[in-house]
Formats: sequence, C-alpha cells, structure tokens
Amino acid sequence: MATGQTAQAEPLFRLTVPPEKPRRRLPFSPWHLFLMPVAAVMLVPLLWMVIVSLETASQAQRFPPVLFPHSFHVQSYVDAWNAAPFAHYFLNSAIYSLSTVAGQLLFCSLAAYAFARIRFFGREVLFVVLLATLMVPFQVLLIPTFLIVKKLGMVDSVGGLIVPNLCSAFGIFLLRQFFRTLPIELEEAARIDGASRLAILFKIVLPLSLPALATLGIIQFLWSWNDFLWPLVIINTDTHAPIQLGLSTLQGGHFMEWNVLMAGTVMSQIPILLAFFFAQRWFIQSLAYTGIKQ
Amino acid sequence: MKRYFVVVIAAVLALSACGGGSSSSGSGSGKHVNIVLWHGFTSPGAELDAIKAMTAEFNRTHPTITVTPQFAGNSDYALQKVLAAIAGGNPPDIAYLYGSWSANIATTPALAPLNSFIAHDSSFNWNDFWPVERGVATVKGQIVGVPALVDNLALVYNKQLFAQAGLAPPTANWTWTDFANAAQKLTNPAKKQFGWAYVNDGSEDTVWRFWAMLWEAGGSILESGSKQAAFNSPAGVNALTFLQNLARKQSIYLDTGSGNYLGLFNSGHIGMLWTGPWDLAQIASGHVSFGVQILPADLNHQTIAGPDNWVAFNNGSARSHAAYEFLKWFTSPAVNLEWCLRTGDLPIRAATTKLPGFKQYLAKYPGDRVWVQNLNNALQARPVLATYPKISQVIGQAVQSVLLLKSSPQQALSSADQQVNSILAAPS
Amino acid sequence: MTALAEDTRAVGLERPPLWRRVLGSDQLAGWAFVTPAVILIAVFAVIPIGWAALLSFQANNLLAPAHYIGFANYQALAKDPAFRSAVVHTVIYTALFVPISIGGALGLAVALNRKIRGIRFYRLAVFVPVVTSTVATGIIFLWLLDPTFGIVNYFLHAVGLPQQKFLQDPNQALYCIVGVTVWEWLGFDVIIYLAALQGIPQDLMEAAEIDGASRWSTFRSVVLPLLGPATLFLVVWSTINALQLFDEVYVMTRGGPIGSTTAIVFYLYQQAFSNFSAGYGAAIAVVLFLAILVVTLVQLWIGRRRVYYAS
Repeated sequence: MATGQTAQAEPLFRLTVPPEKPRRRLPFSPWHLFLMPVAAVMLVPLLWMVIVSLETASQAQRFPPVLFPHSFHVQSYVDAWNAAPFAHYFLNSAIYSLSTVAGQLLFCSLAAYAFARIRFFGREVLFVVLLATLMVPFQVLLIPTFLIVKKLGMVDSVGGLIVPNLCSAFGIFLLRQFFRTLPIELEEAARIDGASRLAILFKIVLPLSLPALATLGIIQFLWSWNDFLWPLVIINTDTHAPIQLGLSTLQGGHFMEWNVLMAGTVMSQIPILLAFFFAQRWFIQSLAYTGIKQ
Repeated sequence: MKRYFVVVIAAVLALSACGGGSSSSGSGSGKHVNIVLWHGFTSPGAELDAIKAMTAEFNRTHPTITVTPQFAGNSDYALQKVLAAIAGGNPPDIAYLYGSWSANIATTPALAPLNSFIAHDSSFNWNDFWPVERGVATVKGQIVGVPALVDNLALVYNKQLFAQAGLAPPTANWTWTDFANAAQKLTNPAKKQFGWAYVNDGSEDTVWRFWAMLWEAGGSILESGSKQAAFNSPAGVNALTFLQNLARKQSIYLDTGSGNYLGLFNSGHIGMLWTGPWDLAQIASGHVSFGVQILPADLNHQTIAGPDNWVAFNNGSARSHAAYEFLKWFTSPAVNLEWCLRTGDLPIRAATTKLPGFKQYLAKYPGDRVWVQNLNNALQARPVLATYPKISQVIGQAVQSVLLLKSSPQQALSSADQQVNSILAAPS
Repeated sequence: MTALAEDTRAVGLERPPLWRRVLGSDQLAGWAFVTPAVILIAVFAVIPIGWAALLSFQANNLLAPAHYIGFANYQALAKDPAFRSAVVHTVIYTALFVPISIGGALGLAVALNRKIRGIRFYRLAVFVPVVTSTVATGIIFLWLLDPTFGIVNYFLHAVGLPQQKFLQDPNQALYCIVGVTVWEWLGFDVIIYLAALQGIPQDLMEAAEIDGASRWSTFRSVVLPLLGPATLFLVVWSTINALQLFDEVYVMTRGGPIGSTTAIVFYLYQQAFSNFSAGYGAAIAVVLFLAILVVTLVQLWIGRRRVYYAS
C-alpha cells in the first residue's frame, strides 16, 4: 500500500478521522486536556524529590514537607557527590546495565525467535519451564544464586553482577510475543532464497522489531540500574558498587540527610530518564516498515 | 553458528572477569593478618568517619593486623548479606548485627570462640559492660558478640509548646497521669498538634515501647523459664489502657514507621516523644528548643535498651585472634570514649564513664546526659529466644489493634497470650 | 494477513536425506538458538530454584546445620491461619491490580500513540514512576495519604467528603496499595503497548475506515485483536508479578495495620529473614510457585485459543 511510506509516525486515530471535518477545532489537540493532568500526577514524586534536594537540611526534614522554599540550594548535590565515590558508582552501573542489555538483546532474541518460529522437539515444555523461573520470588533465590556466583569466583566483581542477568525468561517471552505478530511472508521468501535462520533473524526479524527491542532494552537497563539487593549481597568493595548500592550508603537507619539523599537519587535517575527520552525514536521508528510489501 | 555462540560467551565471561577483584580476605602471607569488618554506617555520618579513622589508628598501632571496614547495608539487608556469606563459607570476621538476632545467630557453628578468648583474658573485663548488653550478647552462656551500641528510651519534649500550654516541664518524678494530662493539653486538632507520637508499624519499634510500659507497670514479658507468656496481666491491661485512652483522645500521632514523627517534632506539631539518643542529632539540627527527661512512671521509671553487637565469625584461628584483638582494643574504655566523643553514642561500659575525659563528652553532647543516667533504669532485657521475632510480631499486631481502637486492651492481650503460648510450646 | 501455519516445513516439497534433515533441520536450529538462553537460565535460575525446593523439606535457619523433616513445613503451612489470610490478601490484590493496570495502560497508550506537541514529554512523564525507586515512592505516598497531614485528605475535606485513614485503616490499606502500585507500574505496561501499537499496519486501519466503521468499532475489531499478543504478555507477566507483591508492602505498611496487607511474599520474607525459618519460607515459595504455574498455564491456554497472531 502506498500509504505505508507517508505514514511515518502518524497516529492511528487521526488517520481514522474523516478528513472533511475541520470545523471549530481547539487551537490545540484535545488530547492535551487528558494528558496534561495525567502527566502532572505521574510527575509528582520527581518534582517532590527535586524540591527536597534543593532545600536545606533542616527544611528537608520537616513534616509536612516544605513545598515552596524561599531559596534553592545546590549544595546537597555537591555534598552527595562528595559523600561517596559516585564516579565509580556510575561507571559500574553503566558497565552492569549496558552489558546486561546487550546480553538480553542477543540471547533473548535468539531464543525468542526459536520459540516463535521454529518447531523443535520439546518447544512448548521448554518454554513453560523457562517461564516458570519467573514464578519463584527472588527472596528465596538470593542465597543459592550467591553460592553459584561464588563458585564461579565472581563475588565482589562487576562480572558477578552481570552474569546472572544476561538472559531472562521475561525477555524471551516479551520478544516471542512480538516476533509472532510479524508477517511471516518475508521470512518465507528469504527461506526459499536459501537464507539461514540466523540471517533471517538478523536481517529481517530484528530490524522489524525495533520497538520491541527498544522496550526490552530500556526495561533491562532500568532494572540493572535500579538493582539494589543483588549488588548488596555480592559486592563488598565500595569501588565495585553500582549506583543503587552506593546510594544506600546515604540512606541511614537513624540519621538521614534527606536533601542529600534526594540529590543523590535525582542524580542517579537522570541517566535512565535520558535513556528513555532518546530511546523513544526506536519505539516509534518501525511504523513505516510494517505496512509495506503486503 | 555454534562457534559464534562460543565466542560470545567467552567474550562475556572475559568481560566479567575484568571486573573481578580480590576478596580482600585470605589469611595473609607470613604473620600479617587481614580481617574484614562489616558495618552499616552511612555517609555523610560521624560514625562512618569514626570507624574509618579508628580502624586506621588500630592498623597503625598493630602492624601485624589490617582491619578493613566495609559497608554491608543496614537493618534487614545486612542480615541477608551475612546469611549469604555464612552459607558461602566465607563470613566477615566482624559484623555489626542487631541484638534481637543474637539468639538465632548463636546457632551457627561459624562463630569465633569469644568465650574462651574472654575467659583467658582478665584484662578484657567482660563484667564492666552494662548488664543489658551482656544479656543480649550472651545466648545460653555463649557470647556471640561484643557490645557495639547501647541506647534506651527517654522523654524528649518541646519546651516552647509546654510553655504555650502553661505546663511545667516534665520532672524525674512524673507519673503516667502527669504525662497523660500534659499530652492532652498539648493536643490541638485545629492546629494539627499532638501531645505524643507512637510508632505504629507493628514492628519491634512498636513492641519495645510497649515492653517499657509493661515493665513500668510491674509486669513481665514471659514467666521465668520462658515457657509461658506473662504479659496478659493487670500490668499489661494497665499499659494498653493508658495507650488506648490517649489514642481515643487523638493525642497520639501514629507514625507508620517512616520516621515522620521526627519531622513533625521539628516543625512543632508534636509535644513529646519517647525516643533514644539516635534521634538527638536530627532533633538538635532542627529549630525546636527541647529538653530530655527520663520516662514517666507507673510503678517505676524503667526503660528499655536495645543493644547491638559486633559479632565475630571464625575464619581460622589467626583471623579469629586478630578479630578478638581488634574488638578488645575497640571496646577498651579509652578507645570507647574516643568513639563516643566522635559520634555522640552512649558509652558501652561503665569504665568509660569514669574516665576524666568523660566530662568532655557530657559537655559536647549535653542532651545525652539523661540517656547515660537512664542506663541505670534499663533493668530488664527482652527474652533472648530464637522465637522472639515471632512473639514480637504477635505483640505488634496487638498494640496496633489497641491504638487503632479495633480491640480492647483485654481482648488484644488474651488473643496475643494464646498465640505466644503456642509459639513457645512449638518444638524448635 | 494470511493466517499461515508457523510450521515452515510445509515449504519443502521433497524429503531430503536423513543427515540433511537432522543437521539443517528445525530441530537442530531450534535447539541451537535456545541453548545459550537455556544454559544461562538453568545455571542462574533453575538450580537456585531446585536449591530452594530442597530447603522446603528442611528445618533450616541458614545458620545452623540443616536437617530434613519431610513434609512438616507443608503440613504446618496447611494449618497456618496467617498464611491463609496472606493468600486472601494476595488474591484480592491481584484480582484488582491486573485488570486495572492493564486497562488503564491500554487507554493511556492509545492516547500517547499520536503526534502532538510535547508527546515525548508526556511519554516520559508516564514512565517516571517506573524509574523512581520504590523507597522514594513509598515515602511520598505515606505523606500524601497521611490521615492528618496528607494532601489527599486535604482535597477530600475541601470538597466536603469525610476524611479517611487510608494506610492506617485495616479496611482500606490493601486498596491503597493497589492504587499506588497501579500508579507505579502503569508506565511499564504503557511502553509495551506503545511498542505493540507500532506494529499495527496502517492499511488495516484504513481498510476498516473505508468500510465505514466508527472509531470505536475500528478500535474494537481491528486494534484490540492485534494487541492480543501484547495483552497476553502483560496479563501473564502482571499476574506473576502481582502474586509476588512485596516491595510496596515492605516500604509502606510492613504488612499492617494488623496484618491487613500481609501478602504471600511478604509473609515468606518475614518467615525467612525475621523469624529465621528459611525452610518454612521456602515451602511458601514452592506453594506459591505451583499456584502461579497453574494460573499461568490457564492464561496461556486461553491465550492460545483467543489471541490472534498476525502471521
């Protein structure tokens, strides 16, 4: 269909509105009236954290909170940065998150493609077995996983953080569901042309699946970035700690400098928010592909 | 295709291995011994600075031993890390652990033999530590750790709110009636002002405040021998009735465990707190002029203390000896005084308070004076039982149901009594 | 949109020799593709699960030497009233959380799947709660829902409604947790729906449009079925997650007041790490696992009959 090329990122529903209806329109899309308040409700915690992080220590620990401080202090950010080796934390988290994202994208894609498209003995059972690994709460798996990582000699290392998270049934299931919605005709044509399964996966299926891959990537990035309990258990040396474990050193049992803690928290979340903001282009991108060649 | 996988896995493993580091333990080459100390002191904080400075001082003065302090999380998280390390056969040499865990910690064969170290070392002077501390550190005769921290509950009040209400400040002779009257006068719903605050999350934080009241009313937690519950008594009813009356008059701010009571106290919404020295720094950093007094009495002025321990684990004789060496040094009166001066923590042993330098401590932390004296009112310890956490959960719910006016004191106690007795009767 | 069978063996016309069938076959390719994932998941998930399962037959506090006690943990569990009420709380929670969060996310995703000014900002805003740490979220909601000082009661009062106790009322706390977790996880479901919406061919929409279908019926008859695979994923995943509710309870209520928000995994955690009954906790995990497995299989079975895959 010709419209496929012009579609770009056009929304679904605008297209469905009959074009001859331009009468009395608002100067802006009516969707703003819905999305504005939703966005406001969703942003409450972030705003609160930013405000607290800009307060003085004595303002920040008042309850009910001081919402409109007379002046803002960036000192907490300096204090947070100096309170702990944040540069190490960020670097470790970056290595941890990017490695697991890469691992998940690769290993989950391969497995998900097999589960979606290839018929092999034991496929259904194996899929359920993999899925079953999501059904046991991590709280009881923490110690045995620690013992295995210890056997591998990876305690107190960034590698020990990464290895158990290189693949997950979550990622396989997510990608499988998406792969199964792709039109199979392209793949069949390629098969007849003699392309290998691997070539089909990398040249046809994955390029068509960018939104799904971006979704898995951002979710995995988020999880590793926010991971706390696993790093706590396997990391002993401060300079090997990722960001959330590092942040927890600011989170005292009794005495807590809320402004400093919130400054650290805001700093720690900026990379994920940036990653999400820029990953959006991939969420939307493949729209133009899917309409073609029908 | 297969080779491709192998390459990828190899690459990943290689990448992981780069991050690998030393486990910073190992019993050391020659005579030098490296030991690891796990703590939960957060940053920025006086305790963190103190542990770093003082382990460095120890390492300098003890050339054959190196102690490395490591952050291991606080509260429950620390426990999970320690349990994993024990399961992995490589526990830290020393770990800061809550006193309420000691009965369970005592069951592991991984503990260092502190009893024999202490028994063969007259200069350690175990009996100089406060009785509550020794009670919590000793499980059926076995010493699981050396006292790390002691605290207790005292009454902290907002002087300005007292003056506004025309009330005289609390005295050491205050009774529950005086306290209740003041709490009511300090309550003003229109100004969202409360006389008192109570931590109502059902955790041990809810429970131990109740134990203090139970003791003040002359009750006890369990019958001697720990086979039967004893809190379902007139004293227990008395204590819970006292709580419920104030709750019914809306004089108590019920804190959900997030520590909001501190922020409210600092913004003048709460007149009185029952709290310990750990809140002092935060209260002092607010702008409220406050005073500290011992708890009001029903029959007596008892308080409750919640000591924590430095638990020593066994990683071979050389490291155990080194750990003991460090703990002995660290808890010796002069070093303990240095710790107290740096952190404002209470002295963990009587000898510390007799040092000439102790006056300096009282001058530096005037608010702590009452808590130090109040250690003399910490006469009883909570039962050191492996089943205590379960008992605590039952009592936590009982106190919550009284504070939320969902059951009468007697109903709550009877139901808790039944549950605690069945916990005590269960084979362990 | 031909509904071809996935079985691509149909493409071949002649039977090739045996060695070719084995080496070039789907059998080999299939297993080769899943092997890395299977190894990783086996080592880091299946073995630990096996360990936990063994633990459930032991008296084990993770400190003292353990010993096997047969089914004693399970027998105790069958008679444990606290466990029974944890099950009830968890079921109520899941029954509310799953439909509300998925339905809400669907609506929101549709709203966010358009090109208007600031749409990237809106999408980011919806994602913010997913990013925010549970601890920070918990602190904020404890404040918003505080009976005396919270903003929610302030608004209720302003419009003349009675004040509520929220997290401090045993009859309301669980529903508050539902609300907070929906708020928290909505953005997660939204991005999955957004990704799925990208895969819906424009021509389908237009074909429906030409047929004269209304916006709503286009949505129902074209969009919704095409979102089936994503919906099945979200239903399965949200259910698995909801049945393992823990973080929000741990941070906000500690299972209270008076045990009213004690969910299964929170109870498990309490047993294993507060009460030092790790064997008992593992037995809870095994029972929960079996329950989730049954629920998931039923969902997948229904999904297999009802969900339409575009291929």
